[in-house]
Amino acid sequence: MTSDGNSRQVVLDLLNHKTVDRIPCFSGIGNVTTSGLDQYGYRFPEIHVDAEKMANSALATFEQFGFESVVVPFDMGVEAEALGCTVKYYDDGSHRVLYPTISGKLSDKVSDINLNVPADFSQAGRLPLVMEAIRKAKAKAGDRAAIGSWVLGPFTLAGQLTDLNDLLKNSFKKPEMVNNLLAQLADVLVQIINLYKEAGADFITVREMGATSDVVSPRMFESLVLPHLRRVFAAVPSPTVLHICGDTNKIVEMMAQSGADALSVDQKNDLAASRAKLPEALLFGNIDPYNLLVQGTPETVEAGIHTIIDNGPSAVWPGCDIWPEVPPENMKALMATMEKYGAEAKG
Amino acid sequence: MTAQTRDELIEQLKQGVVEFDEDSVVEAAESVVESEYDAYDAVMHGLAEGMNMVGELFTNGTYFVPEVLMSADALYAGLDILRPHVALDESRQIKGSVVIGTVEGDVHDIGKNLVKMMFEIAGFTVYDLGKDVPLDKFVEEQLRTDSEIVCLSAMMTTTMVGMPIVIQKIREKNPNVRIMIGGAPVSADIADKWGADGFAENAPNALEEALRMVGTLKDLQA
Repeated sequence: MTSDGNSRQVVLDLLNHKTVDRIPCFSGIGNVTTSGLDQYGYRFPEIHVDAEKMANSALATFEQFGFESVVVPFDMGVEAEALGCTVKYYDDGSHRVLYPTISGKLSDKVSDINLNVPADFSQAGRLPLVMEAIRKAKAKAGDRAAIGSWVLGPFTLAGQLTDLNDLLKNSFKKPEMVNNLLAQLADVLVQIINLYKEAGADFITVREMGATSDVVSPRMFESLVLPHLRRVFAAVPSPTVLHICGDTNKIVEMMAQSGADALSVDQKNDLAASRAKLPEALLFGNIDPYNLLVQGTPETVEAGIHTIIDNGPSAVWPGCDIWPEVPPENMKALMATMEKYGAEAKG
Repeated sequence: MTAQTRDELIEQLKQGVVEFDEDSVVEAAESVVESEYDAYDAVMHGLAEGMNMVGELFTNGTYFVPEVLMSADALYAGLDILRPHVALDESRQIKGSVVIGTVEGDVHDIGKNLVKMMFEIAGFTVYDLGKDVPLDKFVEEQLRTDSEIVCLSAMMTTTMVGMPIVIQKIREKNPNVRIMIGGAPVSADIADKWGADGFAENAPNALEEALRMVGTLKDLQA
């Protein structure tokens, strides 16, 4: 926590498999709050297209609440945009909170995708912007907080580039064709991750929620998704985290074989059971970002976080993006609960 | 070769949907038409029943989304053949109209499309606004079409929060509209809290909910 000033050290030690004396609370996924945006006078649509605003918005969550990471970017359109997709930013001048989405995919069918990989990714789409935001975040807070960045996993990225129906059906009917695409995307992601590391990111999270068991079978995860995750993690520097939200109970052991240093799961994962399956793993999770952090009260937040800590994670992470309009008092309750019980759990 | 009975063809349609065997479904549907069996009967007890079974297989973790999509494709192949032959008579009156769409900021529409399919099978008129639908558009479309039901879908926690806003806006304009919400992050509790009339846990369930809601509306008007 910012109170004892050793947040960066604890988080990085944990990620590097060293012993720590308390459980930290952070995230590898973008987490901004409107409370933070208000501090700087930003509107939500602005923070995805300006490096300084992106860095400051990320920083605010650390500075206002002591949340133990500074992470950029926030939306899932960066990689797809760099490959040629168009992004909708929902900027109508208002303060409404709508995450950017892909408005123009590369094609309607997997078979029609023409992957135009830029010669120099560091100039493609918003990559220069995100890299600059990482540099700024590092300059502003790199002495105090862990700086994180993230990318989508190959399967989830494929879902951004083409019609999801077509991708899913072909995953069943023509897996070789999908395999070829995913292999290319794995290489793309390795390039992007390395750029983020160069810019100063301390740790990288790969988000592969498209492959949750809510969507594809564990068998398909093993044959189609896992090989490409392994490809990615084998080619980038540690520390890394694999995040999959949704029902991951049947695939958590396979996730542990991906080569990521740590795993992140959400509230649908039975954390205690996962901990029993993977006693030595770095296992992060699993706050319900909406039902607990947004809909809860400081009292229910404390009770909920205490329960999570008791389930044995290595660090407390939100199950997915923190909803920006999260009540500040709940964020405070979250961090106060961590302060209260986080060291006990390690002792 | 003896012609297949109605029962045999119904079974073939049902199995074809469950096994996502488009060719088998098409063959059975064509035979239904040739034999002049009741097309609506074939749609409801063959195709729709098959989809109900697929829904159960999905819920119990045997089928996943790719399988469900392929079953839906098989169903549509059969529906395209049978629908023109569904007789219009009193008992098959249009059940009502539905406005459906995925809320603004959300570009997932698989669940929404499956719900739409169930409504179409059952004889509802569906006004599909697609995905990433501006919140006001739901209100406008309901007023334009005078639909009894509005269905909102969202696949992400970050977008479902637009739903209470739509619900409120519609209620202001027309308190009698029935509003159903669904999608991965939505729950019966959340639906209740936001003042929705119904919660769709899955596509077949959405149809059940819709029929129930239309029923309550008809009671109001009686």
